[in-house]
Amino acid sequence: MAGSEVRRLEVWGITIAAVVVLGVLPALNVLLPETNPLHVSDFTINLYGKYLTYAVLAIGVDVLWGFTGLLSLGQCLFFALGGYAFGMYLMLKIGKLGQYKSDLPDFMVFLGYNKLPAHWVPFNSFWFALAAVVLVPGIVALVFGYLAFRSRIRGVYFSILTQALTYGACLMFFRNDFTFGGNNGLTDFKFILNYDVNSAATQRTLYMLSGFLLLGSYVFSRWLTTTKFGKVQRAIRDSENRVLFSGYATSNFKLFVFVYAAVISGLAGALYTPQVGIINPSEMSPEKSLEAVVWVAVGGRGTLIGPIIGSVGVNALKSWATRAYPDLWLIILGGLFVLIVLFMPKGIVGIPGQIRDLRKRFQRRESPVPVPAQGATSPSAE
Amino acid sequence: MLLQCNRQGSGSTEGPRARKRLLHPLPPRAVGSFVAAIAILLTASVRADDAAARSLLTKAVLSTNVNEQVELIGRLAETESNLVPTVINAWREGSVFVHEAPDGQKIPFLRNDGKARRIDDGTLIEASETNPVETTSKVRRAMKSALDVLTISGADPQDRRAAISKLGMTQNAAYLPIFEARLAAEKDPSVLATLHEAIAITRLAGTDSAAKIAAIEYLAKNRVIRSHDNLKKLTGDPDAAVAASATKAVSSMEGYLRVVEVWGTLFRGLSLGSILLVAALGLAITFGLMGVINMAHGEIIVVGAYTTYLVQNIFGAGAFLPFFGLNLNIPGFHFGGAFYESYFLFAIPISFLVAALVGIALERGIIRFLYSRPLESLLATWGVSLVMQQLFRLIFGANNVQVYSPSWLSGNFTISDVLLGWNRLFVIGFAIAIVLLVWLLLTRTPLGLLIRAVMQNRDMASCMGVRTERVNMLTFGLGSGLAGLAGAFLSQLGNVGPGLGQSYIVDCFMTVVVGGVGNLVGTIYSALGIGVVDQALQPFLGPVMGKITVLAAIILFLQWKPGGLFPTRSRSLEG
Repeated sequence: MAGSEVRRLEVWGITIAAVVVLGVLPALNVLLPETNPLHVSDFTINLYGKYLTYAVLAIGVDVLWGFTGLLSLGQCLFFALGGYAFGMYLMLKIGKLGQYKSDLPDFMVFLGYNKLPAHWVPFNSFWFALAAVVLVPGIVALVFGYLAFRSRIRGVYFSILTQALTYGACLMFFRNDFTFGGNNGLTDFKFILNYDVNSAATQRTLYMLSGFLLLGSYVFSRWLTTTKFGKVQRAIRDSENRVLFSGYATSNFKLFVFVYAAVISGLAGALYTPQVGIINPSEMSPEKSLEAVVWVAVGGRGTLIGPIIGSVGVNALKSWATRAYPDLWLIILGGLFVLIVLFMPKGIVGIPGQIRDLRKRFQRRESPVPVPAQGATSPSAE
Repeated sequence: MLLQCNRQGSGSTEGPRARKRLLHPLPPRAVGSFVAAIAILLTASVRADDAAARSLLTKAVLSTNVNEQVELIGRLAETESNLVPTVINAWREGSVFVHEAPDGQKIPFLRNDGKARRIDDGTLIEASETNPVETTSKVRRAMKSALDVLTISGADPQDRRAAISKLGMTQNAAYLPIFEARLAAEKDPSVLATLHEAIAITRLAGTDSAAKIAAIEYLAKNRVIRSHDNLKKLTGDPDAAVAASATKAVSSMEGYLRVVEVWGTLFRGLSLGSILLVAALGLAITFGLMGVINMAHGEIIVVGAYTTYLVQNIFGAGAFLPFFGLNLNIPGFHFGGAFYESYFLFAIPISFLVAALVGIALERGIIRFLYSRPLESLLATWGVSLVMQQLFRLIFGANNVQVYSPSWLSGNFTISDVLLGWNRLFVIGFAIAIVLLVWLLLTRTPLGLLIRAVMQNRDMASCMGVRTERVNMLTFGLGSGLAGLAGAFLSQLGNVGPGLGQSYIVDCFMTVVVGGVGNLVGTIYSALGIGVVDQALQPFLGPVMGKITVLAAIILFLQWKPGGLFPTRSRSLEG
């Protein structure tokens, strides 16, 4: 009963949020003059656009962690790969407008290349870049996932291995001779399909696209949970061996989810790059992936609305705290994380349920029936 | 009465200050003592050949012909005068001038700290400021080799060897008589060997084929690696006998080089592996035995490193720590010499204790609630690691701090051309000691028995009356303490900064996973193996690519053996 009520609430909430994000905010940005207090500035649109791509990333983490029990600590790798694939297209679109007035991207001139490396050439095409945004993260996830799930790497081992994967990739991308711009990454974009990247209209379009991507991945993930596939997925989370013994090839299910999460993360990365204006290897550092896990944990894993609330909420907090208390931000983030894990395992979304439980326990204690004291008092190791 | 008291008081406070002033009439400056040394050298030296040196130097400074200057400087070495290095160094640094007397006579003089002394007789002179006497690069080269030739007959055998081998590498036949003269006078066996090598290397460039072959054979027999390039050049010698003998020597030399390279790699790999081992051993206990994913393990290593830094500062000048507006000023003992050098011996147990306490606090405060939820302990401890990193930044600053290695840890020695650093050797010995101690603790003490029992089956141990909570706490403390030891150690090998732990955490987890979780012996093998493989790959791939290759190799290795080198066997399905 409570479940269906929550679900109805969630549907309403998402609908309202979608209308606000995709309709009201852009309308306020375009239609109202800048002097109007209700006007939404270009800066805000850009900032929210970034949050929306983060929310897609968080949904990817949650589909893996909250619904399948696979805690990936390398999800940002796929985000960054998508971002790099699209960034390569944007780099080539700069043309001769760069610092060195060369056809080659600036960093290549700087590093003494005479010719575009072969793997860069196809990225002159927008459609190829778009395909790469989906395929590169997808194929990396497919290969890594196949290897990992085939040898039944699970639980914390999976987490540690994904972390090692993103760490290795991060080190590789930091190298100048890896032809992706070294630690500066790709930046200074000018055009996207002949539109000026930095114009308000382009940024607004990118914002809208991020919103649609988020809505799309939410709806698809939501639909997935209602199917039989979704049931098996959650069964794997709860007891993989039972599912295995029931005759399901769990590794195929996990592989599909892993690739799906990688693909939506890659698409989010591709939208992130032109909105932020830079993509560099620090986007795939292990800390970033852990940060994405924090968003999901804060919002509430195992729900689809949780990651969205968490990513937007934590990032809004970050934007504020890094300006107001730059020294304390990491302490706030870390502390928040410890508190959430210890006291709010279901995140923000779980707060009403926790309050309800507390109230029940309170009422029971007042009732004359004695309660076994052990379970209630010590959440101990055993 | 009161007045008297007052006066006494003021007198006593005045006393030390006045004495201090007496002790230091001038600010102590290294320059001052240097000037004094020069003055003594220039005036009080009574050696007979000083006169010859003075006249040669005077001529050389005044000469306008570069070739003549070079020739004069070359003859300086024969005088064996202590004066020569002083004047020549001053000349090179631009402190030698020429004074023109009213009668037209030119007097070269040396100016240092406002005093001018004549080079020809060492007396003081009133001279005006002029431009320093310039030197050309040719003259400077001549000066350098003159100084080297002088050093050959110097007092310090270390310097003698360095100078001899340097002059030998120039292959200049002009030095042969000097070497041979020295051969008769030299007593130190290691310097004698260097002399023979230098003579042989110099003879390689000669014209006499028989002498060349003898030299080649000498160099090949004694495996003088420095001569490798010179020998290689001789393989194209017009004289077939020389070329053949050189080719043979080069191939035997290259074989020897390979052997040296292999041993060097093995040694560096073992020492890197030992570092990994010390860093991962703590994790092998907390992660392997207890099943707790402690992402703050790296930060506990850093706690050990900063503790070492603090101990060093307390032995030295004290430390000043800003902490949220509270400024903590720790006074230092200002120890000097050998006692200061021994700070590291004190730092080792202190880092262990501090890190163990931090670990116990972490276990009591957070981890004990999460034993049944390993993924969440991972996340919570990551939060802790963020907080700790930022605290390090706030307390110790974002930059690296300097931890000085005691002199007995720096420096190195060679065994048949394999370079062995004392610190690397110490790392290996230390790792062995730690492994031994941990093994003894786990297998020979009651606490070890309890730890193993609890880790094998917590519920059963609890039923038997073991206080599992307490054992958990102590085990975690032990693991963290070992991490602190690793930190004390890393402080001797590199920089200490807030991000130090982050660079080791992934490696540590990899080491434990490869070794087989729950198996300390596996951790030892995997740490040493990863260290050696890493060092063996680095020459070909560079440090970063080498590391990436090792990571990729580990991921593939786990395909083959998902449980690591020594998987823990268990009948439990989820185990």
